[in-house]
Amino acid sequence: MSKLCTMSEAVSRIPDGAVVGLGGNTLNRAPMAAVFEIIRQGKKNLHLVKTAGAMDIDALCLAGCVSSVDAGFISYETEFGLAQRYRRSVQQGLVRANEHACYTVISALRAASYGIPFMPVRGLKTSDLRAVNDYFADVTDPFTGEKLAAVRAIRPDVSVVHAQAADARGNARFEGPKFEDALLARAAKTVIVTAERIVGDSFFAAEREKADVPHFLVSAVVHAPHGASPGACPGCYEPDGDAIRAFLNLADGDALLSWLEGRRTTW
Amino acid sequence: MVRTCDIMTVALSRLIHDGDTVFHGVSSHMPMVAVMLAKATHAPNAAYVNIPGGVDPERPVLQRFTSAGTGLWDSACAAFPLMDVFDLSMRGGLDVAFLSGVQFDNRGNVNASVIGDYRKPKVRLPGGAGSAVLIPTAKRAIIWRTKHDRRTFTDKVDFVTAKGNVSDIVTPLCCFTMYEGELILKSVHPGVSIDRVAENTAFPLRYFEITETPPPTAEEEAALRRIDPLDLRNLEFL
Repeated sequence: MSKLCTMSEAVSRIPDGAVVGLGGNTLNRAPMAAVFEIIRQGKKNLHLVKTAGAMDIDALCLAGCVSSVDAGFISYETEFGLAQRYRRSVQQGLVRANEHACYTVISALRAASYGIPFMPVRGLKTSDLRAVNDYFADVTDPFTGEKLAAVRAIRPDVSVVHAQAADARGNARFEGPKFEDALLARAAKTVIVTAERIVGDSFFAAEREKADVPHFLVSAVVHAPHGASPGACPGCYEPDGDAIRAFLNLADGDALLSWLEGRRTTW
Repeated sequence: MVRTCDIMTVALSRLIHDGDTVFHGVSSHMPMVAVMLAKATHAPNAAYVNIPGGVDPERPVLQRFTSAGTGLWDSACAAFPLMDVFDLSMRGGLDVAFLSGVQFDNRGNVNASVIGDYRKPKVRLPGGAGSAVLIPTAKRAIIWRTKHDRRTFTDKVDFVTAKGNVSDIVTPLCCFTMYEGELILKSVHPGVSIDRVAENTAFPLRYFEITETPPPTAEEEAALRRIDPLDLRNLEFL
């Protein structure tokens, strides 16, 4: 069964208020085309989940789509500086920053993926993050009595991942660094895959390296060449520095919408 | 005149022992170059792990926009992605984690989260990334910070993102090391006086013996030119 659809159709299935897991890491293979479509459709009150985010989180904050961000790190790394829109939104009280260690995002997703309500985590108990956040708690090992920190499961309503290759049924392969995308797909209720190229239905059957996400987890597949741009997509393209700088100079959400008009493609 | 970024990079590199398992994360160009320098000089058997998951990349391609990109993956010998690196640290198998932050005090507390109140912050910082679990579980957490002033090296951090096994802190002025739970001055960089470090540090400086941080050797200089021709170790000073 083909799940191929337009970006607009795929994104229209994300309801306001949804918990949305985003694939990739900082400017590496983030699902930017899907993020931009979320902004065009004016989604509200999204709860974003990512280990380390950059322009994806920053753009959604600038557009006013975001209620909370669960992440370990939000910044463009060194070359393009801090995520100022995210930062300002949090400082103005518009967005709730739920700071994790990157590992506690992974642990929360693992818990959801394993079908259990929480995951014990080492180390965290010495951090102030343990005390100030209600998604962390203490837990006692029932076998030894050892006290550990625990993180509550995070089950995204939808995870959005960008792959180099996918077939129409939803089998998707991340070529190069895989980051946490396969886990995001397993933890979520459903998955939207955007892909640089759509391969034939028998493609992965003939490959030694199989898909990382199997079709039955996926509800929509979008052919989105340059779907991680202006970020990088390994094996396909480097980041578009001019576009990133242009974005960083946008004054507000309206300027972002007009800038996106100029980037509109035929997905 | 030795450049600050070169002094810092070699200081970080020399903290890596041969055979260590070593990790750095995002926004970490200087430690990235330091790990490669260590492997090219005194620590060829260090095992290098990173966010994209490429173990010991043989011909790493250093990328300006990221220290977590495919340049660390393409020539790697094994796949060991971030979640595996964290798991390794949790079970006691990670020797060195390079991390940073915005405020540090002399007990080794690290703040990378907020200035002001956590829920109503004056400044929302990027966040500690892996710090809250890595600093307590890695055998040695090595901190680098390219700014050294009284707001950075403070009496009391606004928020404890992480504490635990901080072993060393390398700054543009000096190297600190932890001794019995207290940060003490270990060495000052060439041309830096102890007074200048004291003026720029809010907590009282304590030390037994202070040396001058040794400048790069000819071998290290040559290796740096080969490993990092784009000078990405200097990125944070631009």
